[in-house]
Formats: sequence, structure tokens, C-alpha cells
Amino acid sequence: MRKFRIAALALVGVLAFSACTVGTQNVDTTSAEGEIRGTITFQTWSLRAAYRDYFEKLIDDFEKKYPGTHVKWIDQPAEGYADKISADAAGGTLPDVVNVSPDLAAPLAKAHLALDLDRAAPQYRDEYLPAAWKSSRIPGMKGTYAFPWYLNTGPLFYNKKLFAQAGLDPDDPPRTYDELFRDALTMAKRSKGRIATLASVPTIEDFGRYGVRLMNKSGTAFTFDEPKGVELLRRYKKLYQAGALDRQAFTSTPEQAGRKFMQQSVAMNPGSALDLDKFKKDAPSLYKNIGITDAPNNTGSPNMYVQGLMVNAAGDNKATAVAFAHFVTNAENQMAFAHETTVFPSTKGALDTEYFTRQDGTDKTRVRIASAKSLDTAVNYTPVLLSEDMKTALQNAVTRALRGDESPEKALKRAAEECNRLLRLG
Amino acid sequence: MKTATAAPPGGAPATAPRRVRRHLPTSPWLFLAPGLLAVTAFSLAPFLLTVGNSFTDNRTLVPGGFVGLANFRELLHDEMFWTGLRNSALYVLVTVPLLVLLPLLLAVLVQRHIPGITFFRAAFYTPVVASVVVVGLIWSWLLDDRGLVNGILEALGAGPVGFLSDPWLLLLSAMLLTVWKGLGYYMIVYLAALTNVPRELHEAAAVDGAGAVRRFVTVTVPALRNTMVLVAALSSVSAFKVFSEVYLLAGENGGPAGEDITLVQLVQQVGTGLNGRVGYASALSVVVFVVTLGLMLLVLRANRKEDA
Amino acid sequence: MSATTARPAPAAGPEPHDQKRRSTRPSAARPGRAFGSRPPAWRTALRYLLLVAVFALMVGPFLWQLSTSLKGPGEDIYSYPPRLLPSDATLDNYAGVARIIPVWDYALNSLTVAVASVLTNLVGASLAGYALARLRFKGRGAALTVFIMAMLVPLESIIIAQFTLARALHVNNTLLGVVLPGAVGALNVLLMRNAFSGLPYEVEEAALVDGANVWQRFVRIALPSVKGTLAVVAIFSFMTAWDDFLWPLIVLSDPANFTLTVGLNYLHGTFADNQRLVAAGTIIAVLPLIVMFACLQRYFFRGVGEGAVKG
Repeated sequence: MRKFRIAALALVGVLAFSACTVGTQNVDTTSAEGEIRGTITFQTWSLRAAYRDYFEKLIDDFEKKYPGTHVKWIDQPAEGYADKISADAAGGTLPDVVNVSPDLAAPLAKAHLALDLDRAAPQYRDEYLPAAWKSSRIPGMKGTYAFPWYLNTGPLFYNKKLFAQAGLDPDDPPRTYDELFRDALTMAKRSKGRIATLASVPTIEDFGRYGVRLMNKSGTAFTFDEPKGVELLRRYKKLYQAGALDRQAFTSTPEQAGRKFMQQSVAMNPGSALDLDKFKKDAPSLYKNIGITDAPNNTGSPNMYVQGLMVNAAGDNKATAVAFAHFVTNAENQMAFAHETTVFPSTKGALDTEYFTRQDGTDKTRVRIASAKSLDTAVNYTPVLLSEDMKTALQNAVTRALRGDESPEKALKRAAEECNRLLRLG
Repeated sequence: MKTATAAPPGGAPATAPRRVRRHLPTSPWLFLAPGLLAVTAFSLAPFLLTVGNSFTDNRTLVPGGFVGLANFRELLHDEMFWTGLRNSALYVLVTVPLLVLLPLLLAVLVQRHIPGITFFRAAFYTPVVASVVVVGLIWSWLLDDRGLVNGILEALGAGPVGFLSDPWLLLLSAMLLTVWKGLGYYMIVYLAALTNVPRELHEAAAVDGAGAVRRFVTVTVPALRNTMVLVAALSSVSAFKVFSEVYLLAGENGGPAGEDITLVQLVQQVGTGLNGRVGYASALSVVVFVVTLGLMLLVLRANRKEDA
Repeated sequence: MSATTARPAPAAGPEPHDQKRRSTRPSAARPGRAFGSRPPAWRTALRYLLLVAVFALMVGPFLWQLSTSLKGPGEDIYSYPPRLLPSDATLDNYAGVARIIPVWDYALNSLTVAVASVLTNLVGASLAGYALARLRFKGRGAALTVFIMAMLVPLESIIIAQFTLARALHVNNTLLGVVLPGAVGALNVLLMRNAFSGLPYEVEEAALVDGANVWQRFVRIALPSVKGTLAVVAIFSFMTAWDDFLWPLIVLSDPANFTLTVGLNYLHGTFADNQRLVAAGTIIAVLPLIVMFACLQRYFFRGVGEGAVKG
């Protein structure tokens, strides 16, 4: 659904840029000097509905701390976010502080629209987890282009009832890829192909977790077609042929995959701690049988998602924007946000506090603590340079390989070539 | 509006209206001004920019330069382009005949003023007014391997049908969704036209002993031929430009490995987002435009031949 | 391109004389009573049977959505086989929608945009349609071509250019900016042209004899005769404006100006997917359209009946 809107919107985006190229070449992306006062705009990504009070108070606090400042808060719906940013960037109406993920920050940085924080605000660097600070670095460019904000990671949910029915131990879920593939094949066999274990095809994060090298060291070429990647596809192909991968996996959105899990026609699905509430409300019969485990990985590092705050380098009030972006992402305010919902702060030390270490017996806390612990070693596997086009090329290759239209070697090789071609285009 | 009142009063009566000049030469343009202005500013001018872009390698945030026909040459070697062209063409071939005929039957069904008909007419229009996203969501649910439709099929002893996993069935499902959503729209167009069919023609045919079916074929269809051509033209234009239905059922890649992609979805895929290849996508848009124009001319020409 | 200009009657058109021949004696009767005699009972029954069958096909999916929106917390909305009726019906989900977003403000914005769009389309399309159908002047073919070309443009691919224009006109982030691109739909112009050229010429000839000018003929004679098509245009433009998502999203940035479709999108928040609320939001968005159509279509058919010229 969300994806639909993004795309539909995007569809849109496409044309007529000769009319509206931004004069971005002579923007100063390295400094943000000036007085902290005046009006700035702050754009979040689909947070208003649930966290309005939090943000209103946050802005109030900032305006009190820096008299003479005024923050205008804009929240954009989840769908169409990238295209709203494209339109604003192209039209010169980009807000001063923008909520971005690393892959959104990359093209904006290349267009000289993102402030380089290593140059403009190096004094804040030490407040954040080093891995988080680095997450908005872009291969081929110097600098860091967004303040790290909240982190997210998620467990793998499984359906204990379906495990038990297939004769698998519901209290011993798969923990490694070997166990996962073995259990999935057992499940398919015992249910005569009725119950699949997984509902989505492997994405770039799965390649990363499996231990495939995604890009070369200098970030100039994709390498996911190495033997390890081929091996992952071979194993997935076996799953598909046995019925252990849902037939509709090739076209399913994450929402559709989630629905299949809630309908209990698929035995495992990745999610976040928030999903527990959803299961309880929308699928109570599943909730009774829910099991929680970690997503397997061969690297010792789970995957994490990073949100950041980018400062518009072409803004009029950069000093205020930097101050505000830092204010939102400082230890205190990130901690307060983490109490609002199940996300994790990217500031140093936050994850060692009691909130993320002490059990209170509830499932929610158990998931929160497990997730926080896994963040110690977590990595954002998705390369920041991997654009939507490249993701499509990879997914199409995976599909061809799994369906047997092409050998896994050939499919992956062609996908890597296509991604590299797109990468060279810039 | 006010400007139009300035037109001078008419002069002498004329015998054949088509030859009449009842106005200063400027007045027709005053009538046309609002429409022409809106359409030129917000559709044609931007489209001309698109045409210009198709000769560049512009990207969303990075301006490029003139590349001549390179984008069009690239199209010829792009497998996805040919897949998209094939699917969009198939879409026209399947949905247009259905959308010309079925809504007409529906219009005849709801034409008669029987109690409750207002309710039915409004109800049949519901799929048109609902946003396509909602409709897509509901249908992907219904056609799922474990959805209502497969539930019914299984109860009848047929195995689950992979409406949403087989590339061909997916395309067909999207086509049926288009037809389902378009029925009410064209039903309205036909209903408006049906009220213009003189009842004397029906009465005469009835006196001659023609049954309902024969009257439909010999009276209704010929009388509505112009409307049917209009519907054929409109539906083929929108069928060739189809995006949402395929997108919603077949996913963002356009089916397994892009097997179900349509041209407009390809435009979306390559041209959008912060890394969008605006130049190449513009070239695709130009092709879509030219083919749609050709289709429309084809429909109209077929009509003229029949006239002759 | 010039090929189209040469063609007398593209998309929309019946040749005027053609149409004239067919409708020299249009009927004033309501369409419902097409024949003097009542049809036999079995045929009425068959008709109802068919109506109900089509009804199930066309509306069933929405009733399913309605049912979901009424399901209370704790009901399994993902069970298989699906449960058709809510066992614990509640209107809470509708209240929930209003709690998350100022749904009435957004609805008012949508209504403003939709009504404005109906007005501009009625005025713009009927004026242009009339000129194209009934007035003879140099450049008519060219003007017609402009509208046809506009209809063929894949609208989705020009939004950024439209946004740039809206910004240049300083109407971005206003409801006016939302209305402008759809102010006069090319398709509506063609529909109006089709309707006007279907009118018998005799009527206007009579007015000519009375010395009426173009404007008077347009307002007093032509417009009242095409009420049906006007209603169609009104419905289409209301619907298009009400349902539009992409353009309002691009052009509006201040949440206070959001239209309903953009606002409802908040229901799929990043962390707050709730199918029941989404379903309730869907119903809130669709219901006004259905009600409006139900009301207007009554007028629509009466209008067509009354408007028929007595020969």
C-alpha cells in the first residue's frame, strides 16, 4: 500500500527537470555559522499521528531554550515520502531539517543539498554511537550528511502451533541458516505444501546477513554475485521448489507477507516489537501461539535500520537548523522518544540504561531488551548507494533464479552488472 | 463568463445553421479561453518539457546534457521495454471489447424505472468512486491463495489457483479489475446516451415482433454506435496507460521478475525517486504518448470506414 | 499532429447531420416508461435477479470493508476462511479516525476543492464544448486538437513541472493550487462538445429568428438541453478532485490545508498500522461520493427527461 503510493507519486515525478534545476553547485555545504534565532521548518516522516504530543513539547522546549527561534513542524505521510522530497529538492522548497534514511540522504548529498556535519558540526560527533554516526557516510564522498536519530531492529516471529503441527519443537526455533532451511523443508513436507515458512524472497539485507560481500571496499562496485550469494540463492531455490517459500513471495509487499503470517498460512515473518500489539488486536488466535527468535545471520551482526536528520545546506538559517537537529537527537530527547515507542537511541550509553537492560516479565520488554542487546553489534547492511532501480534489478534476478528461468550464477551476475551500470550513471 | 456577454446580438436568420456567422471573430475564443488556458498551462506545456527532456540524460537532482536520440536507441535494446509494450498492448486487446459491451448491457439493465433502481444505479457506480488503492487492496485479498475466491474454488473441489503468482493469471486478474472498476463509469455514459434513443424505434421494432435481444441488436446498438466509439476510444487510451491495477496486484516490480510490467509502470520505475533517470523516463513517456495517439486515430478510422 | 486537425470529428463525435437525422423527434417520455405496456412479471423478476447478482459483484467487496471497519478490538480480522460479519460491532473505529486526524477539517478542505473543481469544470468545459460544437471559426480544428492532445498526455508524468508552475504562480500550499491543474478537464470538454453537437439545430434556429445572440443561445437554449451531460461532468469532476492523492500531496505542505485523501494516509502511520481504522477511513472517504452520486443521478435523469426538446 505504502509502496504503491510512493510509486504512483513517483511515477509522476519524472519529468520536466530542465525547468526546475536547483542552483545547487554554489551552496556552501561545509559551514553553518550564524546566530541561533529565526524560523526553521522541520519535516518528519509519518510520526504526527502517534507522537504529536511528544513533538509539540520537544519544539516548545527548544524554543524556550533559544528565545527568538520558531520551529514549524511538518509531518509527511509514509507514502510518497521520497517523491515529496524529490519535488521539494527540485523546486527549492526543501525544509531546513529533514528526517531521512541513509539511502535518501545519499542523492541529496550528491546534489549538494545536505550539510556535511563532519565540517559544519564536528563537535557533536562524540555524542553518538560510532556506527550510527558513520551510517550517513557515502562511499566516494567525504563527510557525514545526517545526525543519527532513532535505530530499529527486529526479531523474527514464528507460529508455535504450526511448528508443533509439523512435528518441530515449538520451543526450539531455528537460530542459524542451516536450521532455518532444514525446518522450512520439514514444514513443507509435513504440511504437504500447505504451509510455507517464509513469505518473502531474499533482499539485500538477507544477502548481507548470510555473509555475502555486497560491495567492494571502495564502494565502487557491487559484488553480491560472489559464490556465497549464489549459494544463498541455490538454497532458496530448493525452498521454493519444495513449497517452503510462499508462491506469492515474488510479488508480495511486506504488508502482504505480514498478512499471510497473521492468517497463519506462513510460519515465520520478520517484524518489530510493535507487531506484538498488532497481533494481539488483529489476530488474537495467532497471538496465543506467537514465538520470538532472532533473525539468523552468519556474520555475528544483525541488521539495523537507521533514521537520521539532515540539515538543508541551502537553507537560510543553518545555525538554527543544526542546533535543532542536534537538540532532537541528543541523549535526553532520544531517550524520551524511546519511551514513547519501541525504537532505540543512537546516542552513546543510552542502550546500557536500565530501560534497555532490566526485564519486567512482559513479552514487550523481553523483545525490547533482546533487540537493544543485538544493536551492540548491528550493522546497516543496505548499501547507501543502492537505489530503488538497483533493488528492482536484484529482486528480478532473484525471482528468475528461484523460478528456474535462469541459473543463480547468471541471474546474479547480470543483476550485479546492471547495478554497476546504474552506479556509474551516478 | 462576463466577457462572453459582450458578443453582439445576432443578425439576420439563416437557413442552414452550419453556415451562420452570428458573432465577431473573437467571441469563440472567449468561449474557449478558460479551457484552453488551463489545459495548455497544466498539461501541454509540461508535456513539451517532457519531450525536451527525452533528448537529455537529466536525473532527478542532477541536470545532464543533450544526448540526441540515445535514450530512444537504448529503448530498442531494453528487454523491459518490449515486455511493457507487449503487456500494454494485450491490455488494450482484452479490456476494450469488454468495456465497450458489458457497460452497455448494464445500462440497459438499469435503464427501466422500476422501484429501487436508483439504489442499484448508485451501487453499481461504487467501484468507480472508490480510490484505486482501496480497490486493489480488497482484490488482492480476495484473489489471494487463501482468499475468498480460492476458498470457494476449493469448496467446489478445484485446487487453489495462483491468481497472484502466475504471471499470465496476474495480468488477467489486473485486466478483470480494470473492467470491474470501469463498468460503472461507462454505464453512466451509455445511460445518458440511451435516453436519446427515440422510443418510437423500439415501439416499431416491438410491433414487428422483435424480442428484447433483437431490439437490442437492431435498435439500441446502431443508435448508440457513436457512443460506443467514444467508449472504445476512451477505454483504449486508458488501457494503454494502465498503471495502478497492475501495480497493486503484481507488485512494485510488475509481477515475478517484471513479467507483468506495463509501459507506464516502467516510466515510474526508471524515472522516479531521488535517483530517477528523468531523461530516459521522458523518452518512454513520449513513446506512450505517440502510441496512444495512434490507437485513438485507429479507433476513429475504423469507425469512419464503417460509415462509408 | 496535423493529421488530427484535418479530421472533423475525433473522439467525441457524432456528425451533426447524422445525429439530427436520428433525433428529429426526441421523446419527452421518461426513459423508464419506454413502452406503453407493462412487461410480464417474470421478466421483472429476472431483471431484479440480475440486478442483485451484479450488486453482489460490484458492492460485495466494499461491504467486506464496511464489515472490517465495524469489527471490535479482539476480533480476528485475518482468520481464514474470512468471517463476513462482525461479532462485536462497534463504531469506535470511526471515532478513532477522528482522534488521530482532524477528519472534519480535512473533509471540509476536500469539499472546498471538489466543489470549486465542479464549478470551474462546468463553466470551462461547457463554454469550450459549445464553441467547438456550435460555432464556426478559423482554428476550431486546432483548438480541438489541443484538448485531445491534453487528454493523451500521461498526466502522472508531468507533476513536477506542474509543481514548478504552481510555485511560480505562488499558489503552492493553497487549496487554489490544488484546484488549478484539474480546473478544466480535457475529457469534460470533449464530453460537452459531444452533447452540444447532438442537439438538433432547429431549436437554435428558432432562437436565431428571435434575434438571440451567441451568449443568449448558449445560456437559454443549449445549456438547459444538456443537463444530463452537465450532471455527468459534475460527478466526474467532483470524484476526480475528491479522490486525487498525488497532486495535493505534492502541492500542499502545511497539514492544516491537507485534503482528506492525504490526511487519511496518516492512518497507515509508520508504527501504527491498524486495518480497522484504515477500513473506517476508506468508508469515510467513499461514502460522500456515493451519497452525492445517489442524489445527483436523480436530478440527472429528470434533467435529461425535462430537457428533451418537444418536436
